[in-house]
Amino acid sequence: MHAEPASFDTRALLTNARAGDRVAFASLVRLHQSSVYSIGYRMLGRRDAAEDLAQDVFLQLYRKLDSIETLEHLGFWLRRVAANLAIDRLRSSAWSTPSLHDDVPEPAAPESDDDPLMTRALAGLLGELAPAARAVMVLRYQEDRDVAEIAHALEMPVNTVKSHIKRSLTALRGKMIGARLVTAEDMP
Amino acid sequence: MNEDIENRLRAALRRMDPPEGFAERLLAALPEQDLPARVAALRAARPVARPAVAPSRWQRLAAPAALAASLVMAVYLGQQIGAQRYANEQRAGLEASRELMQALRVTSKKLDVAYEAMRDHNPPPANADSEETRT
Amino acid sequence: MNAGIFSCLALLSLVAGPLSAQTAGQLKLPEFPTLADKAAESVVVTFDSKMLNFAGSFLNTKDPDEAKAKKLIASLTGIYVRNYTFDADYVYPKADIDAVRRQLNAPGWSRIVEARSKHEQSDVNVFMFVEGEKARGLAIIASEPREFTIVNIVGNIDLEDLHDLEGRFGVPDLDIETGKEAPKKESPKKETAKKP
Repeated sequence: MHAEPASFDTRALLTNARAGDRVAFASLVRLHQSSVYSIGYRMLGRRDAAEDLAQDVFLQLYRKLDSIETLEHLGFWLRRVAANLAIDRLRSSAWSTPSLHDDVPEPAAPESDDDPLMTRALAGLLGELAPAARAVMVLRYQEDRDVAEIAHALEMPVNTVKSHIKRSLTALRGKMIGARLVTAEDMP
Repeated sequence: MNEDIENRLRAALRRMDPPEGFAERLLAALPEQDLPARVAALRAARPVARPAVAPSRWQRLAAPAALAASLVMAVYLGQQIGAQRYANEQRAGLEASRELMQALRVTSKKLDVAYEAMRDHNPPPANADSEETRT
Repeated sequence: MNAGIFSCLALLSLVAGPLSAQTAGQLKLPEFPTLADKAAESVVVTFDSKMLNFAGSFLNTKDPDEAKAKKLIASLTGIYVRNYTFDADYVYPKADIDAVRRQLNAPGWSRIVEARSKHEQSDVNVFMFVEGEKARGLAIIASEPREFTIVNIVGNIDLEDLHDLEGRFGVPDLDIETGKEAPKKESPKKETAKKP
């Protein structure tokens, strides 16, 4: 599970940011920027779009800091706004569906990744899911959130979240076999 | 099967950092806002007119030193307030979690009572063989 | 006559308003303020979804019971408990419990367990609110000579999780779906000490 920043110093950052301290706000941004940016990238498939989205999310946060009660609330709020904003952008005609053909290379795979090609392909296949299902999968497997929180963030019933996960896993498995990334024997 | 694909997904969906300088660009894009009262007071306390005589070294250092001291005090006070709020939040949260566990224990206990009462009302059936062999 | 019709409509709107705003599977439970003063012990919990999320975030997931509790409450939107224990028999007014029972006559609620124990002099009823094919609410009304309890759990109730709840804290499984007794896992511990 991604650990939420929980130290006392971090709580003081929230207090100070609410009081107008821009340095404290910048620190909060740095703490959460990879989460928000990554949600944007996995949803929209382009780095420039992900950065635009992340900037819009944090600008919204800056205006709504007074409504953030705790650090946990902050994390939830950021994920919720980022995911829903990404869904809105995907559904509007202005944004193209993501593809595997983003010219900017993926970040270097960790040393523990024994199949970087598979990893990249799987991330790309995620982009073929419908927006809501994609958001569920990103919140589940990138952000490691539980079903109840995902349901709350995306304002959908818990059982709908569970259905999205189940169907998406099945669809991804099928696509991986279809793309000959794995054989049916590898994934019965 | 699902566990394997789930693990692959987690590996594929590791977080990425935004391009260098993201936070700085964001700060530059922040709208101007009303200054907090303490900062406004600090600015109001600054001397408006330049002194006619070139300030001494001590005078040159005094104003920024006072400003720095005030900011340090403000950060310290902010941290104290933050510490108190954190402690209150922790207490409230732990109390709530204890109440929650208590509620679940009461619920499970009453379900147990229902089970026991059902069992008392519906005892296990008598051995069928003994009935058949009765004459 | 017009005044009479107007009064009826006004009364209906007063009744319908709060009911229509209520969540499916949720009962209106009073706080029973006078009972709290008389009771030797009481457990009164009123947790809506916000409080559940808040309380759940402080559960210690390294503790097996609390980890299970966190999983259980994940799909719930409310837990409401009124449990009172007294030093004398039947000092609680039946009318208060009957008012809650009447709500369980509403459409959607079904009684799934009705159990009386002459030995314990206990009377336990378990109700479920079903919408479509999903269980959205659970209600337990239990009365014993010196204790009465009302529990209302609201949300997407997974019967498997409910079975798990029965299995925690040393409680045997209750096969609610079939009405048959499930094999007993371990004996429940009886309470022997009451607050003086």
